[in-house]
Amino acid sequence: MKNITLSPRMVITAVLLSLGLIIAAVPKNTTKPYKLTAAQILDEIKSGTQYLEPEQVAQMLVEKDPYLQLIDIRPQNEFEKFSLPGAISIPVDNLLSPDQAEVFDQDVRLNVFYGNGTTQANEAWMLLRQLGYKNIYVLRGGLNYWAEAILNPTAPPSTSPNDDLARYDFRMGASQALGGGALSSSETQTKTQAPAKVPGPKPTGKKKKVAGGCS
Amino acid sequence: MGPLVVYEVISQNTNLLLAFFIGIGFGFVLEQAGFSSSRKLAGVFYGYDTVVLKVFFTGAVTAMIGLLFFSLFGWIDLSYVYVNETYLTSSILGGVIMGAGFIMGGFCPGTSFCGAAIGKIDAMIFIVGLFIGVFIFGEGYPLWEEIYKAAYMGTPRISEFFGISEGLIALLVIIAALLMFWGGEWAEKKFPREEY
Repeated sequence: MKNITLSPRMVITAVLLSLGLIIAAVPKNTTKPYKLTAAQILDEIKSGTQYLEPEQVAQMLVEKDPYLQLIDIRPQNEFEKFSLPGAISIPVDNLLSPDQAEVFDQDVRLNVFYGNGTTQANEAWMLLRQLGYKNIYVLRGGLNYWAEAILNPTAPPSTSPNDDLARYDFRMGASQALGGGALSSSETQTKTQAPAKVPGPKPTGKKKKVAGGCS
Repeated sequence: MGPLVVYEVISQNTNLLLAFFIGIGFGFVLEQAGFSSSRKLAGVFYGYDTVVLKVFFTGAVTAMIGLLFFSLFGWIDLSYVYVNETYLTSSILGGVIMGAGFIMGGFCPGTSFCGAAIGKIDAMIFIVGLFIGVFIFGEGYPLWEEIYKAAYMGTPRISEFFGISEGLIALLVIIAALLMFWGGEWAEKKFPREEY
């Protein structure tokens, strides 16, 4: 009986053609895996590295740090009523629109999300972080805490530790430099007679290493 | 999972180290396939030796099938694989200049270094010519900047350009490669040369 032997050429041809037929027949894999795993995100959440303190942001604003990019994630009409200086408006609904990709897809500026509180900003942070974008932060406490801490700081008791007094001085300075009192009553407005120390003392607490500017 | 650098599985430095070893492997295979001989390389234009065609189409088909299957299994995200930008005019002009140089000199840039590495004098002279060309292009850049940057098309892929699926394009390329192999072997019989 005659043995049927395939020449190497025939084998290669058969293999290539069948692989080609398979790849032509199956649909393209369009699943986009997240760049960060859930465990990595959880680590970041636990360590709280996504937060920037209002003092840090205020100081960058006072110094007109070009690397700071504030992003207002509240609806457009709220943004028009009040926003932080230099902020751009990207409502949560528009977060994934292709127009915004270049805002996030860069590693020079610090994108800082803020809303009224922190919930929505945190959601936006988590989503974009999982997609692998870097340099994304959340303003701790959102606008509510901003108004409380920066725009209308309350004086600590005179027996407070020096750190607290220094922070108050800084907040008063920043408040004046950033048009504080806009949200305040006239009563607190008149109390802001402390000389504006700009830039004030470095914010206390853990200082994040930032790209340029504020180091 | 991949590309490994994009997903920070390996660092930039590891990436360069791997590229170094892959480069050595590439050079070794080129040399072993006889690509350090300008007569063998020029043979593809005369038909007496089509090994260039076979090696490069084998490389292209292997990489293509590999990447498409890796993508299918979710091992690599093809949208993160770097694609050269297309400037149509300079691609055509560059192709013509490169082809003319290939026929005249008997090497392409990569193989000339391959030939020089085993001591071929013609390859070394080719490299000198290559650097003269680089120098002229670099120094005269303002003269041809306009042509160089003309007809910019971004990074189109054939599949997107024609609106056909990547898999179907792959199958067509495989068929084209097989026809090319067959045609090459036919040409080698048709235009044989005893010694080269």
